[in-house]
Amino acid sequence: MSEVIADVLLSAGVLVLLMCAAGVLLMRSAYDRLHYAAASGWGAVLVVAAVLARESLSLIGDKALVTGAALALTTPVLAHATARAARIRERGSWNAPLGSAAARRRSG
Amino acid sequence: MNAWLISALALLPGVLACVWVCARSDVIAGLAALELAGTLSTVELIMLAEGIHRQPFIDLALVLAVMSLIGSLAFARLLERL
Repeated sequence: MSEVIADVLLSAGVLVLLMCAAGVLLMRSAYDRLHYAAASGWGAVLVVAAVLARESLSLIGDKALVTGAALALTTPVLAHATARAARIRERGSWNAPLGSAAARRRSG
Repeated sequence: MNAWLISALALLPGVLACVWVCARSDVIAGLAALELAGTLSTVELIMLAEGIHRQPFIDLALVLAVMSLIGSLAFARLLERL
């Protein structure tokens, strides 16, 4: 039974990760691509859940759990930091409205 | 060849897609692709560790997850200043 659960979770995780890759490849703007990159943490969580379903809390299971938790927590943080960098590059400051003095200085 | 190794093989086109975006798109899109490539590579190592029952690969996955975070954050901070 645990093998079946592991296979289902593994398939779901691979599917989510491939959809994220397709989104990053096919979307036009960097902000759209960031949405898909940030969602990849859920794919990693599903794969780690598959490992845990098969191995329980063994040595591999423990480390996979830590790795999955790290990925799930850090991918949204990375997406936020990247979006902030993109906005600062566009407008000169993260909170400057489009067409402001900072944005004009940046473009001119 | 078991399900884990087949899954690791199935994820490779995703890594290639990230390489393509890094090579052909603007710098912020490339950074987004780099972040996704870090996650995909980490998951690949987890699958390989499980597929061939080699525990050291899971250590590599853990280290890669942390180093990928640090590298991507450094890139993001650098791009704010350029």
